[in-house]
Amino acid sequence: MIEIRFHGRGGQGAVLASELLAQAAFLDGKSPQSFPFFGVERRGAPVTAYTRIDDRPVRLRTSIPNPDVVVVLDPGLLGTTRVTDGIRPHGLLLVNTPKSSEELEAPDGVRRAAVDATKIALSHGLGTPMMPIVNTAVLGALARATGVVSLEALSRAIEQFVPRSPVENRLAARDGYTTVRTVEVGALLSPLPVGAPVPRPSGEGPIAVVPSETIHTAAWRTFTPKIHLERCTKCNFCWKFCPDDAIEFDPQGFPRIRLAYCKGCGICAAECPPKTIEMLETLA
Amino acid sequence: MAKLTIPSQELMYSGHAACPGCGGALAMRLLLKGLGPRTIVSLPACCWTVIGTPYPTTALRVGILDNPFEATGASISGLRAAADVLGMKDVNIVGFAGDGGTADIGLQALSGMLERRTNAIYVMYDNEAYMNTGIQRSGETPWGAWTTTTPVSGDLHGKPEPKKDMMGIVLAHRPAYAATLNPAYPEDFDRKVERARDIVGPRFLHIFAPCPPGWKFDSSETIALGRLATDTGVFPLYEVVDGRLAITRKTGALKPVEEYLHAQGRFHHFTPEDVAKIQAQVRESWDRLVQREREDLSRPH
Amino acid sequence: MTRKVLSGSYAQSYAAKLARAQVISAYPITPQTSIVEKLAEFVATGELAAQFIKVESEHSAMQVCISASALGARTYTATSSQGLLLMHELLHWASGMRAPIVMGVVNRAVAPPWNIGADHTDTISQRDTGWIQFYAESNQEVLDTVLEAYRLAEDPQVRLPAMVNEDAFYLSHTVEPVDVPDPETVDRFLPPREAHAVLVPGETMRLGSFTGPDHYVEFRERLAEANARVPKVFAEVEAEFRDATGRDHEGAVPTYRVDDADAVLVTMGTATTTARSVVDELRAEGRKVGLAKIRLFRPFPEDEVQRLARVADRIGVADRSWTFGRTGPVATEVAAALYTAPRRPALTGFLAGIGGRDVTPHEVRRMYDTLLSREAPTTHWVDLEEQGVKVDG
Repeated sequence: MIEIRFHGRGGQGAVLASELLAQAAFLDGKSPQSFPFFGVERRGAPVTAYTRIDDRPVRLRTSIPNPDVVVVLDPGLLGTTRVTDGIRPHGLLLVNTPKSSEELEAPDGVRRAAVDATKIALSHGLGTPMMPIVNTAVLGALARATGVVSLEALSRAIEQFVPRSPVENRLAARDGYTTVRTVEVGALLSPLPVGAPVPRPSGEGPIAVVPSETIHTAAWRTFTPKIHLERCTKCNFCWKFCPDDAIEFDPQGFPRIRLAYCKGCGICAAECPPKTIEMLETLA
Repeated sequence: MAKLTIPSQELMYSGHAACPGCGGALAMRLLLKGLGPRTIVSLPACCWTVIGTPYPTTALRVGILDNPFEATGASISGLRAAADVLGMKDVNIVGFAGDGGTADIGLQALSGMLERRTNAIYVMYDNEAYMNTGIQRSGETPWGAWTTTTPVSGDLHGKPEPKKDMMGIVLAHRPAYAATLNPAYPEDFDRKVERARDIVGPRFLHIFAPCPPGWKFDSSETIALGRLATDTGVFPLYEVVDGRLAITRKTGALKPVEEYLHAQGRFHHFTPEDVAKIQAQVRESWDRLVQREREDLSRPH
Repeated sequence: MTRKVLSGSYAQSYAAKLARAQVISAYPITPQTSIVEKLAEFVATGELAAQFIKVESEHSAMQVCISASALGARTYTATSSQGLLLMHELLHWASGMRAPIVMGVVNRAVAPPWNIGADHTDTISQRDTGWIQFYAESNQEVLDTVLEAYRLAEDPQVRLPAMVNEDAFYLSHTVEPVDVPDPETVDRFLPPREAHAVLVPGETMRLGSFTGPDHYVEFRERLAEANARVPKVFAEVEAEFRDATGRDHEGAVPTYRVDDADAVLVTMGTATTTARSVVDELRAEGRKVGLAKIRLFRPFPEDEVQRLARVADRIGVADRSWTFGRTGPVATEVAAALYTAPRRPALTGFLAGIGGRDVTPHEVRRMYDTLLSREAPTTHWVDLEEQGVKVDG
């Protein structure tokens, strides 16, 4: 049995990717199982989905703590989510990134693979630069890097189950298949900083008192606002309209982005009267 | 520090779990600015249940009480009763419910609260569908809009029924104060919140809350779309104090509704006839609003 | 102390008044109405300094209590039958919020067909909601148990909502003498609520929240632990009530002449009184029978029930409701309790008094006859009418 864990952000199609993989495996004659982890389902928020593929019916109904393969649809997650937690010693980490596979950090002994699925998706008009739909390109790369499904089965699954632009998605899968780059053994993973300890529930009712500012939502964004202060008039429109309260003021009264919280919605750039705010693609 | 046109205090924490560009998140931020820290928010099942972040975290610098979907009106009656009997002074009791939790499943409890003259503020943040469950139609979904339960294909043309007139239903209860608010107009928004805060009795705020994933528009356009909603007359801004209606934003000629409709994927299937139908309805509602305002003005105090 | 002739409904009202409930909310339903009418009168005349919120449904009545409790107020409501069923969702909220609400329930049958007679289906249907459940036998017990229920519900080791149930008409509309304790006595026994973990204006706090599998289990387990502490705390509360008033109601499972009994009948609610008189008759005839009353149904008093098995070879359970597809619900509970008992007596179920049908001495006597005979244990529908003709169950 192969166990695969997908990490993506709401809206990127991680859940659909896990389902498509299962459909493709079924077309290959395998017994698949796929399911999402139902948590905070928000556009841009981290999401997890799982696929199991076996020759016999799967006899487990649990999440996947020790995956053979970890698929990361969004490179922004690498800095904030412990994507490789529990990955098996000879497992595979596949990441959508423009970087080379050598540059990826993974636990010792884990194979690494990279595919620039964002570029592929946009070249086929899938999604927007803000929210590219990368799942089919990533699945193509997964098919090549792992051999868990054939490209033919994947293409047929896409034709049958992708609601929009099936042709473009099939081409994206093909491009992912042909351009994925792998490297055999990973470097040691530098441990991610561990957040503040979470208090266990008290003996009383469910009472939450920890400010949500302990949660950083930077990983949600695809584009990052940059303020060109030389043209800023301190009108404060950016601050006024920010749904994330992610804009503060410096001592001179100029606006400053609170990057830990900015989700990159782009309202500040759109509403800035002198157009001093530019949305730049976030680099992983 | 430069000029601030709305209060500087922030009572909504960052790190919350709203989608990028969420009108409902901005609505909460602006609402609490006007109300201040001595506020308790009763929160039914809605997007904000999740936006408020999971245990042990919370996204508001004020008290939140979670309540079931349909019970917000009753909950704020209970909070007010307790505050009064325990001698808690100067506490804003606020129900903050979505359109489904207000106009559909919560309508009975809202009506009860208004009829009982509960001294509290009931907020309906209106994103015009059940967004937290993934875009299903509600009583507040407008005519023709696509949702997952009002599909568009063949003869199916989005929602076949018109939007429920919640302000009309609320005004029939003669609240102490009722107003429509739009985060695209923060100064008007804040003035109404502060006015509502200082009035005693049942108060109702209908807040327009654009939803980028549900309405299918780019998250950067939330404010622009909000402005269009008001400037086309789709979501006019007004308030009713002691039964007297006053329009709080007039822009001379209304913009064509086409601009508003075409900015959203949920209306992409609209034909010119559909647009004309909406235009006629918006025009008629606006004229009725202007007429009502004129009548109320001429009525002696 | 004053002695008044009170209905079971007024016993609830007087108890809520003596408890100095601060927020009361209710919706009218037969046969609960006189409880809340009397309370409305107490509030109107100023005898009780409470907010009475007259709501548009039972669902809202319970929500008012939960929200008021979340700010620290002592709350009371009352309902019956369909109204209780409408509250069902909120009952889970109340226990999950650890809100020490006390509710009076007049046990009434569930429609269809419409029927306002005594029947335990309404409260039995709520047994898995995390509420403490008492069933009373007399109006005195109603009044006293409401007061005890507040102490128990608000105890720091418990913090759970509690319902005090009384049979429709057999108690709610039956008047009988009741000793009403002085307010000073009750105030000593039941001081103002020490609210804990409630919302405070101006403070960052979310009560309710949401959580995934990472924390939810722990909250449920704490709820279970609080339930498990109820029997011990209740015993302490009842001892203090006895000290304060000179009166108690013999704990969670009061028994009558069970010490050498061959057969014991287990009852719940008003059928107990009639059954007690039958026990005396049978004893006079030389038959060794006894009686046990389930006063506390949730959490279920397993130890006390197991104690019944030490002597009696046969135990019968008279249920006033039916679990479809299974058997009488109290019988199921007793059977489960006896599974781990050192001795397991034969168990027979009886279904008696559904929808307001009288449970007469004649039928109680027949239940004991069945128990003492060597018939195979089974379940008997007592006093059942078939084809318009009453037949023996």
